Amino acid sequence: LHGYAITAHVHQVSDQLLRVEEGSLYPALHRMEQDGWIRAEWGMTEKNREARFYSLTAAGRRQLLLEEESWARLTEGVARVIRFA
Amino acid sequence: MGWYRRLWNTARPGRTARDLDRELAFHVTERADELRAAGMSAAEAQRLARAQFGNYTSQVERTRDMDINGLVDGTLRNLRLAGRAMAKSPVFAVTVVVTLALGIGANSAVWAAIDAILLRPLPFPESDQLVNVKQAHPKVPTPVHGARPARGMEPLNNTFQAISGSYVQDDSETSGELPERLTRAFVAPRFLKVWGISPLLRPGLQCRGGKVRWSGSAPDQRPVLAPALRRRPNVVGKTLRIGRRSYPIIGVLPSAFRFPNRDVDLWSTAPMDAPFAQGRELTWFNAVGRLRPGVTPAQANANLATVQAGIAAQFPKTDGPIRAVVTPLKESTVAAVSRSLWMLFGSVSLLLSIACTNIAALLLSRAAGRRHEISVRYSLGASRGSVAAQLLTEVLLLSTMGGLLGIAVANAASAVFRGLAKDLPRVEEIGLDWRVVSYTLACSIAAGLLCGIVPAIRGTRRDLAESMAKAGRSQVASSSPIQFVLVGVQVSLAVTLLTGAGLLLRSFQELGRIAPGFDPERVLTFHVSTSWGETGDPKTAAERQERVLNALRSIPGCGIRRRYGFPARRSRRISDRAEHGRGPRGIGASPRCRSEGGVA
Repeated sequence: LHGYAITAHVHQVSDQLLRVEEGSLYPALHRMEQDGWIRAEWGMTEKNREARFYSLTAAGRRQLLLEEESWARLTEGVARVIRFA
Repeated sequence: MGWYRRLWNTARPGRTARDLDRELAFHVTERADELRAAGMSAAEAQRLARAQFGNYTSQVERTRDMDINGLVDGTLRNLRLAGRAMAKSPVFAVTVVVTLALGIGANSAVWAAIDAILLRPLPFPESDQLVNVKQAHPKVPTPVHGARPARGMEPLNNTFQAISGSYVQDDSETSGELPERLTRAFVAPRFLKVWGISPLLRPGLQCRGGKVRWSGSAPDQRPVLAPALRRRPNVVGKTLRIGRRSYPIIGVLPSAFRFPNRDVDLWSTAPMDAPFAQGRELTWFNAVGRLRPGVTPAQANANLATVQAGIAAQFPKTDGPIRAVVTPLKESTVAAVSRSLWMLFGSVSLLLSIACTNIAALLLSRAAGRRHEISVRYSLGASRGSVAAQLLTEVLLLSTMGGLLGIAVANAASAVFRGLAKDLPRVEEIGLDWRVVSYTLACSIAAGLLCGIVPAIRGTRRDLAESMAKAGRSQVASSSPIQFVLVGVQVSLAVTLLTGAGLLLRSFQELGRIAPGFDPERVLTFHVSTSWGETGDPKTAAERQERVLNALRSIPGCGIRRRYGFPARRSRRISDRAEHGRGPRGIGASPRCRSEGGVA
């Protein structure tokens, strides 16, 4: 997926609830690329435009599992706190 | 991994920036397409897409910061700016670089000497095990050691691997056309084992356990180990003629080996059973021992004290009052010069700090001229840290260049030092190596920080920049307290250094004025040496010396007096004074030897 497709995808999948700011998307993508979690290569879109396509690497998959876990812990914690209140 | 890629991206800024631009432009185009599909005009869609994207340039910069190493990038940019500033004022740059090069070069040259002489271990295997073994006699000021006592100690102690030693005499080598004076060291058994060195031997010989095995030489041909003779190449296998005997040279020792002193030309085995070596009161032997692994000099000292007590009980008359003393060899070799070397180091460091304060004052006065530039930077949004970092980078660049030039200065200065200070121990080991070079570079960075930190802090004060912006371009010469402090520091350092140097010169001058008690005009002194072998028969030795002196007396207009070496100073040399000129003239003895009777 390229950067624009990612914003569109997030927008769509979240039923237009979430919108990724471009200002955070590209710095985040580039940081993840430098850390080796995702890989980027130039390719052509179906409209024949040059775009940078990103894909997950093995290290990125591992990182994703970790992040999912910590996200789950965080939301669970927040949910408990809210219930308590 | 990440840091490596960031570094790589920093090194090729153009490519990274182009890629980024293409990527973000694609995003905007794609968004505009979508808006157009929703029924907007092309121009409107493009404008809205841009607006949604936010500040394009700052997005590019924020994304770019993820790709690169900010520290390296900033440093590179600062270096570029510093280079430009340097090119703008070359005279200032050259002044600073040369000043620092001289200061740092002098400092490094002295450091090279300190490193070679005081800090590095002696160039022998496990050199910290090597110790000088001496016996201190309360009546004889210098600690001395006899050959026989040294050998007697060896089997009794349990802290030494071996004790050996040597003594030195001058000999005439007569195999060539003209006789040549050689300084010859006689070494006791296990000498090579103690030092842990192996000679380069003649083919067919081998060295095992520090012992050279030879065969086929007549019993009266004692083998000789010559050093890498400074005068002649390929000496191995040649034969030296000394006195009435021939000595084949069976090998050479490493040229770095200069013990017992640097003048020694050849080493041969000492006749430990010769009659003259038997007296217990004879004290001309320099004993050197190698401690067992893990034994400290203090333990060896205690051990030898016990051994010496045993020997004293056996020979109460000669050995009763003697104490055995063990000193690490390095200490006894360099102790005499360590103080003056550190003092020299202190004075060149003072010199360097003077240079630094000078440059700092220069930078401060220049900072006044750069206020405008700095306030422009501030108004463009630079942080104080980045401006200070840039000012500091300029100074560091200058000081590093000064340091590089300083290495060249240090190299030249060490050569001069080696030539001037021939009497220093280990002086031939002084030279530039990576230790000295890294010291020099560290020194130049320290000097750069020292010069640059005050101007960087003062020059970047915000209030200063703001007041400048208000005051426009009119320059008011305000004398800052820091400049006064700098001048004060500089003057006090200079006065300290000058006073020290002045006192030194003054005492040197005074020394030159002291009357020696005789008229040194047309007076020559020379030594006539005897060999240790001759000491067994003093009468023959005296006759031989008398023959030499009589031959000299037959030269017209030449008067000769002679005196023996001080009995208390164990010098076996006989010093003679000869006077050339109009007829014999009375010569007073120097104050120290007035008590010695002269023979006219």
